[in-house]
This record gives sequence, structure tokens and C-alpha cells, in this order.
Amino acid sequence: MKRRDLLRSFGAAMTTSALVSPAAAAELKGFPEQTAMSADHLPRPAMKGGGFQVFTQENDRKILAAVFDRLIPSDKFGPSASEAGCLEFLDDQLAGRYGEGRALYLEGPVRPENEEAIMGSPQFTQTPRQRYEDGLKALEAYAKATDGVAFHALSPGRIDEILSGLEEGKIELPNGVKGKWFFELMLQNAREGYLADPLYGGNRDMAGWKMIGFPGARYDYRPYIERQGENLKLEPVSLIPKD
Amino acid sequence: MANWKKIGAGIAVIAVVAAIGAGGWAWHSLNTVASNVADDTTRLADFKSTDQAAIERGEYVMRLGDCSACHTRENGKFAGGYEIGTPFGTLVSSNITPDAGTGIGSMTERDFFNAVRQGIGQHGMLYPAMPFTAYRKFSDQDMHDLWAYMSTVTPVKHDIDENAGMKFPYNIRLAMAGWDMLFFDNSGFRVDGSKDDAWNRGKYIVDGGGHCAACHSPRNMLGAEMGSAYLQGGNLGEWFAPDLTSNPHAGLGTASAQDIANYLQTGSDGVAVAAGPMAEAVEHSTQYFSKADALAVGTYLKSLPASATQPGPVQPVDTPAMQKVALAYEVNCSACHGLGGEGIEGMVPAFKANHGLLSSDATNMIHAMLQGARAAHTHDRQTAAGMPAFDWKMDDRQIADLLTFVRNSWGNTATPVAASDVGRLREFLKASKKMATP
Repeated sequence: MKRRDLLRSFGAAMTTSALVSPAAAAELKGFPEQTAMSADHLPRPAMKGGGFQVFTQENDRKILAAVFDRLIPSDKFGPSASEAGCLEFLDDQLAGRYGEGRALYLEGPVRPENEEAIMGSPQFTQTPRQRYEDGLKALEAYAKATDGVAFHALSPGRIDEILSGLEEGKIELPNGVKGKWFFELMLQNAREGYLADPLYGGNRDMAGWKMIGFPGARYDYRPYIERQGENLKLEPVSLIPKD
Repeated sequence: MANWKKIGAGIAVIAVVAAIGAGGWAWHSLNTVASNVADDTTRLADFKSTDQAAIERGEYVMRLGDCSACHTRENGKFAGGYEIGTPFGTLVSSNITPDAGTGIGSMTERDFFNAVRQGIGQHGMLYPAMPFTAYRKFSDQDMHDLWAYMSTVTPVKHDIDENAGMKFPYNIRLAMAGWDMLFFDNSGFRVDGSKDDAWNRGKYIVDGGGHCAACHSPRNMLGAEMGSAYLQGGNLGEWFAPDLTSNPHAGLGTASAQDIANYLQTGSDGVAVAAGPMAEAVEHSTQYFSKADALAVGTYLKSLPASATQPGPVQPVDTPAMQKVALAYEVNCSACHGLGGEGIEGMVPAFKANHGLLSSDATNMIHAMLQGARAAHTHDRQTAAGMPAFDWKMDDRQIADLLTFVRNSWGNTATPVAASDVGRLREFLKASKKMATP
């Protein structure tokens, strides 16, 4: 879809929605009699029974784990990103709508010269899944070219050095991969995997929430509202049964 | 439902009894002399009452008896078609509109009296799913009024073969003659002169049209209500009809007659909230009771001597294991039921001092946990608040522990709930298993 078409379609939607009710909506009168759970109302946890769908190559998983575990290493505060399921989380996300960039505008800019000034942040024509495919290849190629070994075989100190270089824009990756932008994508996804509800496959045993003291999907805080300046030590609660 | 298993097994035994032929014995239980007060010439299809007062009284009698609960389904008002699944086949409620071919249009008033009060229908003996054993208590006046009301019902052509889905030998209506001989008390309501009018009116409603004992009394091996445990609570398989005697632990001991009246008229007395089959009874029947009648029912029930049920030994809830359960209560239940088990008045049941939930039979609580439940929707309380299902979220042990906690907190005392009971009901209701998680 072209950006102008997209914008026009928003306008069209605005004008028609007031007049026409969406055909797909179910109309309820009175109140629903049934209270039993039906299968299509249940949350669907990201289950890894079938193995990885996007990161099918072992070497890709090793590179990603090497990067993620430097971003969130295992220490006295909690498990590392890969131990907390961030790879599984990311694989599940990339296998679905997020990986396909369904919510993203993926056509080229109409006026490339104005792009950065108008948008204020980098824009991509690749889907997140494609960016990982190219990005991991580029990291591997970079390690082989500079250090002569596979990326995952690098020392933690050397990986830190490379990641810092990417973050600061001082290292350019091969095949046109923008190093700074790929670093930011990985950092963002590692955080999401570590802190999103366990429903999505990461944040295993709610380790991320326990680390920062986030109580999760609790319904009601009235019992605690008066208890200020105190560590409440609340057990976090997930959207799916995690007990 | 368990009741139906018992009734079905009873029918098998009774078929033999009937075959032996206890002629003289049969004479009393099948005697229809009480119907002699009714006209036996005009068919319902040829009659339309113009006595507005009688029609209105008759509609009220219909509400007391809750006829529409079974006889009104999607086929039209009173056109029948409600399927009652039993282990012995399916029974279907009949078409009681004045249609001559498929309804009761060819019945005379006398035939109608025979069907409602004696269990003798136009196609033979009625099954005890029709509570004629209770309706036997209906006064002649109420029956005449009900007849007048039924004449105003729009005829619907809807053919029903009530017992075609019943398996042999349960499809033989004559077998019910034997059941009647053993269990049918063929006598009308007797006023007790030593009690006041409200008490007598209450007993008339409870034992007659209200047919409360149909669920709230336990049944014996042959599917008949046990008089010795009258209104002391009955298990219906997937639900439990609580003790209605003045037992202070599991019955109505701490409720006032007015509390009971409020419950019947609105679906809640401020502590308990009607759900399940009782919500249906409130919606279709008891919310239409007059203030005087609702209070009369309360007055009568409060006069019943307390059952012998004792509270179970108190289960300590201050153990470390139970404190984990307390957290589960806080997270899953407290938003509506309150941290003190106080509920939301008239909308969400309290647990504190909600004695209907403290019986040794915890079926209702287990059912609500597995499939959720909905409060009665009445004129006075329109919210019909829903309780969500937790079958997908908790296993049998977790549900059992949570209920044991609730039944022993805030001053409550009740027997612990067994995980095996939760498992049995989970299977029976075809509720889902606890969800597998990554």
C-alpha cells in the first residue's frame, strides 16, 4: 500500500464508520447466559513444543544468545536473557504478525531526501524477520573477517566491544546492514522478551518481573494502597497459570 | 443428573411391582375422585374464559407452579420441547397449548385436573419429571383459575412424542402406576388449624406449586423424596439444593423470614445470590410472588426444625500451605468476593456467613469454579453478574484447596473439599483441563 492510499483509507474509514456498523461485529442483547470458558476465549501461550520456526539454524541461535546474554547477563539479580526464554519469545514473535511487519509501512519513501527529517527516526522497507536474517549473517561475517572465528566463539569482552561499537555507530556491518539500527532492534526485543507476560514465551518463571518488583496482572491494589514506603514483596501474577 | 439415575433404577424395580398387580393398593393412588369437581364436557380448544379476574389469578398460579420453566422453550409459549436427558433416554416436555391435535386442546377440565394433580395424562401415566406429586396440593379454586388462564394461551401446533427417546422398559408409561402406588400421596392440602394463615399459605406454596422438595429433599433409591429428610438438601448431580431447615450451620438458621422473601423476590438476600437452577426458579417463578406470599414461604421455612447436620471440624487456614492459598484467593477472587469474603451486596455472593455454601456437599462451589455461574436476572436486580470459569486456570487440587480456604475463613467452618470431587465434576461437566504453559 502506498502511504497516501493508506492515509486516504483512514479518512474513508473515519467517514463511513459513523454510518455503517462493522458487519463482523456480533451484537448482544440482554446479557450472555453462558459463563463456561470456550476454547476460542482462552489465551494461547507461545508453546515451543514444535521447536523454533524462524531461528531454525543452530548457529543463528548461538549468535543471538551470545548477544542477548551480554545485554542481560546471568547474575545475582536473575537469569540471563536466553535463560529467561528471550530466544523463544523472539522466535514466536518473528513467526507471526510482528515478524511480517503487518503493522508497518514497508513501501519506499515518496521523497527519500526528506525521509529522516520528516520521520525523525529510521524507517525500513524490510520486515523484522528479514532484518534478523540479514543482521545475523552480517554479524557472523564481521566476526570471521575481524577475528577469524564464529561470532558465538568470541570472548564476552570482545562481544561487548563490538556491541558498543554498533551502538555508537562506529562499526559498519557488511551487506548494507546498518549496525546501530540492528543493535537497537536486538536490545528492544531482548527487553521485551525479558519483561513481557510469560504468555508470550519469555520472562520464564516471571524472572524479569521478580527482578524489578513488578506485580504483573493483578486486578486490585486496594489492600495495599495505604502501605506506602514499604517493600510489599508481591508475588507477580501472569495472564496464564504460572504456579 | 443423579436424581434421574435413581428414578430410572426405581422405574425398573417398580415395573416388576406393577406387573405383580397390587389391585387394591392401586385403587387409592390412582383414584381420581378429586377431579369430579371439574367439568367433563367442554374441551379446552372450544373454551375461552372471559373471567378476567380468574385469568389473572390463573397466571399467578402458573408462576407459582413454574410451568413455563419446562413447557416454554424456543417452540413457543407453552409449546413444550424441553429435552431432559436421562441415562435411560430422553424425555421431552409436552405441548400444553390449547391446540387440539398436538397440545391439550382436546382435554376437558377434568382431564386437565387429572394430568396436573394426579399424573394421569391423555397418553397415559406421566413421568415424575412432571411434579404432579406436589401439584396434588393445588386447591380446586387454583386449578379452576389455571384452567381459565390456559384457555387464553395461543394454540401452537407442535407435535411432541414425549417418551419416544426413552429406552425399553422406561418407555412404558404404565410402569409409573407402580411408582405412584408406592410414593404418590393422593391427598390434597390440609390446613393446620394450630398455625396461622401465613404459615399455612407458606406450606401450601412450598409443598404445592413451588415443589421445593423436588430438589431440596434428598431422594431414596427409587427416586422418591425422603420424608424423613424433608427439605434438608438434595444433590442434583451437577448442583446441590441446600438445606432449607433452620440449621444454623448449613441451613436458614441465621436468616429471617424477610431475608428469605427478599431472596425469592430479587434473587438475593444481601448475602447469598441465586445461581444455577435456583436462578432459573427465581427468574421464571419466585420473583413474581406477592410480598405476602414470599413472606409466607419464609415464615413456613423458618418453622422447620433444624436438620441434624453438624459443622465439620475447623480447618486451620494459618498454616504456610493455606497462606499460599490465601494469596490465590486475593489474586483470583477478592476483587469481587472481597478480602473479607463480604461479596457485593445483592450482586456477588458473600462467603462470610453464607450458610448455603457451608454444607458438607460443596458441589455448587465446585461447579461455579469449573464453569462459572450467573446471578438471577430479576426485575429488581438487573445486573445478572457473571462469575468466570477457572477450569482452564487451576487444577483439581488448587480448586479444592481454594474452596477449603473459603469455607474455613472469616468465621466459617466446613469440611475440606476433596480434589477427587473436583475431578469427578470436571469430567461430568466436560470442563477443560488446566492449561499447559511454556
